[in-house]
Amino acid sequence: MADAEAKDVRMDAVIGYVLLGGVVVSVVLVVAGLIGHWIRTGEVGVQYAIPKTNLFEFVVVEIRKVASGEFRPRLLISLGITALLLTPYVRVLASWLFFAFVEHNGKYSLFTGFVLAVLTYSLFLR
Amino acid sequence: MGFGGLFLISIAAGFVGAMSGMGGGVVLIPAMTLLGMNIKQAIAISIVSVIATSSGAASAYVRDRLTNLKVGMFLEMFTIVGALIGAAITLASGQSILFIAFGVVLLVSWAALFLERHQDWRPADHQDRFSRWLELEGSYYDQPARKMVHYRGVRAYFGGPLMFVAGLIAGMLGIGAGALKVLIHDMVMGLPPKVSTTTSNLIIGVTALAGSSVYLAAGVIDPGLVAPVMLGILLGAYLGTKVLVRLTNKAVRWFFLIVLLVLGVEMLVRGILNAI
Repeated sequence: MADAEAKDVRMDAVIGYVLLGGVVVSVVLVVAGLIGHWIRTGEVGVQYAIPKTNLFEFVVVEIRKVASGEFRPRLLISLGITALLLTPYVRVLASWLFFAFVEHNGKYSLFTGFVLAVLTYSLFLR
Repeated sequence: MGFGGLFLISIAAGFVGAMSGMGGGVVLIPAMTLLGMNIKQAIAISIVSVIATSSGAASAYVRDRLTNLKVGMFLEMFTIVGALIGAAITLASGQSILFIAFGVVLLVSWAALFLERHQDWRPADHQDRFSRWLELEGSYYDQPARKMVHYRGVRAYFGGPLMFVAGLIAGMLGIGAGALKVLIHDMVMGLPPKVSTTTSNLIIGVTALAGSSVYLAAGVIDPGLVAPVMLGILLGAYLGTKVLVRLTNKAVRWFFLIVLLVLGVEMLVRGILNAI
């Protein structure tokens, strides 16, 4: 029982830090983007719309822009929001890894696998 | 509507959200529409930002070991499917009906919880086999009471399908539907209020992601507007979590009731006035 308890504690810690990490990365990127935009234009706010797309496509397009050197502070904001959107996704992924390979819990690996599948499908929606 | 204004109302929304187990959208959307924003855009911005408050608060609660990860994962299977469908419905609907739906949902939630208000949480006597098979049990350390509380979740066969409806509402209205989710955790599944609140917070994030992807596909998300809202809501939620763990279960429930009532009436009235 002590072993199961220890695994529980570990899973809680890992999930907790994945969530925290995602939020921190996202905030840092968004704040950096806002500061960058302010330095460039003197405006605090920025507005632009994302055309109809899915998250996967969005990420690919943004990364291409970074790679080709077409850098604008807005990009950091976009990346930050992407990180935010991916945080629950990564959390579920981490949960799946834990249920499957640490706790060896067949039931919950299956349930988590289902959630992961549906989320992945939604990320590719157009 | 300036960056500063959005930032401030988001702080308030995040605080109330984390304190009451809701995603903050419940306060955010009425506030943003009061300032003139189109309700569908408000819903889209809210649903993305709600991921922030959910993840931020959930991170603290999970590490405090209040959240029940298995209950969360089981119920998420239902909410995410609901959210995808709900978001699709909203994109096809008119504004007034969304206001009215919003108000009705909140008021129904309030009524149900209000009727139960004097019942203190008691541990469930009997756990059905399905819930036992799902391993829906746990314990947490209650600060004000200064003791370990043990609990078992029950009626998962009912809780699951109801969560589909909660997900539908979340996807449709851009709220975490934490109100409904907490109710299901609390009244249907017999979980203690603090576990209900914190587990609901966790589920909100994943549900909001499912809904967000539908709005993203529709092109209604403006990152420039999401930025101040997301930052404000996080700040507010952080402050909210500091307060929650120090409150009694009863206080959390009462706070929740008041917020629901006020906002429910407000949105319903506006929807009706809009439609006339």
